[in-house]
Amino acid sequence: MLEIKNLHASVDGKDILKGINLTVNAGEVHAIMGPNGAGKSTLSNVLAGRDGYDITQGEVIYKGQNLLELKAEERAQRGIFLAFQYPVEIPGVSNVYLLKAALNAVRTYQGLDELDAIDFLSLVREKMTLVKMDEEFLYRGVNEGFSGGEKKRNEILQMALLEPALSILDETDSGLDIDALKTVSDGVNALRSQERSIVMITHYQRLLDYIVPDYVHVLSDGQIVKSGDKELAKELESKGYSWVHAEGPAA
Amino acid sequence: MKQFTDIATPFATVADTGELPGQDLPWLNTLRQDALMQFNQFGLPSKKVENWKYTSLWELAQQSFNHQAEAVTMSQQQCQDVALLDDAYRVVIIDGVFNADLSQLDSLQAGVMVRPFSQSLDTVEQQLGQQVAMDKLGLTALNTVLMKEGVMVHVSAETNVDKPIELLVINSGGTECLATHLRNMIVLDKQASATVVEHYVGLSDATYFTNVVSEVVLADNTELFHYKLQQESENSFHIATLAAKQSAGSQWHTNNISLGAKLARNDVHSRLEGEQSHTTMDGLYLLNGSQHIDNHTRIDHLVPNTTSNELYKGVLDDKSHGVFNGKVIVHQDAQKTDSKEYNHNLLLSRDCEIDTKPEMEIYADDVKCGHGSTVGQLDQDQLFFLRARGLDEVSARSLLTHAFAVEVLDRIPSETVRKAMSDVIEQQLPSGGR
Repeated sequence: MLEIKNLHASVDGKDILKGINLTVNAGEVHAIMGPNGAGKSTLSNVLAGRDGYDITQGEVIYKGQNLLELKAEERAQRGIFLAFQYPVEIPGVSNVYLLKAALNAVRTYQGLDELDAIDFLSLVREKMTLVKMDEEFLYRGVNEGFSGGEKKRNEILQMALLEPALSILDETDSGLDIDALKTVSDGVNALRSQERSIVMITHYQRLLDYIVPDYVHVLSDGQIVKSGDKELAKELESKGYSWVHAEGPAA
Repeated sequence: MKQFTDIATPFATVADTGELPGQDLPWLNTLRQDALMQFNQFGLPSKKVENWKYTSLWELAQQSFNHQAEAVTMSQQQCQDVALLDDAYRVVIIDGVFNADLSQLDSLQAGVMVRPFSQSLDTVEQQLGQQVAMDKLGLTALNTVLMKEGVMVHVSAETNVDKPIELLVINSGGTECLATHLRNMIVLDKQASATVVEHYVGLSDATYFTNVVSEVVLADNTELFHYKLQQESENSFHIATLAAKQSAGSQWHTNNISLGAKLARNDVHSRLEGEQSHTTMDGLYLLNGSQHIDNHTRIDHLVPNTTSNELYKGVLDDKSHGVFNGKVIVHQDAQKTDSKEYNHNLLLSRDCEIDTKPEMEIYADDVKCGHGSTVGQLDQDQLFFLRARGLDEVSARSLLTHAFAVEVLDRIPSETVRKAMSDVIEQQLPSGGR
């Protein structure tokens, strides 16, 4: 699905990613944990295709294709989804319009017809039940006046609708109370399948109680310094990130 | 030099051609003669005049305009295609000439008068020219000298007009360098209400000059929804003055949408003369190429307990130039005034320019007033978000531009008008709407 090889990236001449190596196979859930400033958000932005990052070395292969050559929208159309840490508000664009435009962009790429209004709405309603959102949210501006939890649920709604092959969840747990965390996790878990992969980026172990990863990686100073299974997350939680630093980069 | 003396068109002699309506009316002749003296004295304003600082009429002054239109024919279908509304009372003016066949004034509701200017001069003596000051602006004086056509709307007391009234002013391009001077008058008697759309359309890329003055008189407890859609040709000059006098409890809701013209200037002015009266002054301008638009607005709060709410938004692309100057004056007696005035601009290119100045002059001490303006570009975070959802860059930019502009349209109370305006706007936005 995704192969990151020796990825180096910098912003304004400052090196942030310093040689990331990571392979994500279809059906796998990977958690990438790390302290603030480790490069977690840079990694998710680089994978999603945000401008402003210089890739100085390395490559990223997605479904056999050089990902870094593609524009952000081309990546989205090919099944990469970034759930934002801070979803933006867009007053004047209704949520339902965004959902429809996003779905049609993917369907057009796949060579499918656009859904008609009735089929589209029934599909959206079904997905909204999954993340426990009221229909009124469809007709409000995108994230306009939404609470933190509502914004994150809206991200998962988009993910559920688009059914991406590779989802990157950037700090999806931040700012969520326990009920919202459960709802969001249920939404994500419902999408787990043999064909779909998920990369979760998080500071805390808490999320991993609800979305149980197959692999856990520790990102520190732009490199993956330790990899393991979900037990690694628990160890991190009890010992803190300084424990990994003391052990030094993984061999 | 506060004026142009070098004007290519001999405007003053046009008045002598015997073509103007109402020459048998002494009061009108006096009005026109006074105006001619004003125009001869003040001419066209130059950039030395503070209110014309950013807008030059030099090019207009250099043009030699015709005042005699060639005859043109237009089918019902063609007319319907350019009209904004399907179901409306309609006055159609083509190249400055009233067209009875294309107008829809049959079966007018009782208590509603809608007539062309040229056929209603006998009824307007008391009010014509009362709402506009001629002494400072040569253009209004010029309009008064040469006003020939337009629409007169009079709604009797306690009458709610059942359909919108559309004034459809078309320039066909059939006459080279045509100048038309239009005068509209809208009078609502006590407790009447109406919806009026002024709609200016150019069908070609011709050079021409539309000079329009609209006067509004709102008696006690009236409500007028007053929309304007300006889609003049890309080489035209459009100068418009819109002025209202408002009595107690009257509500004037204006929405002024400017899309066309090479050079457009709007002067919108309301006088809140009765308590509990209210003005909404909204506007939207979408500019590209080397278009120039100047919106000057003024609201006078003259008595206690009046309100005003103003929102003008602009989207500028290419090398276009926008000007906004909004003045709210809260006079000494106007305690408890509540006024909001905002102007927001979205710049899509590096070469466009906006000069914005919202102003408030407050002489009362117990008022609630807010004003401000912003100038910005498309938000990069919003743009990336949309692209990360699969929208290509052009669509994403277009969607965000629409989102910026739509706020003004959303404030249009009439659903029919809002929908019709939205459809027009979507065609006009960069990359052809959504």
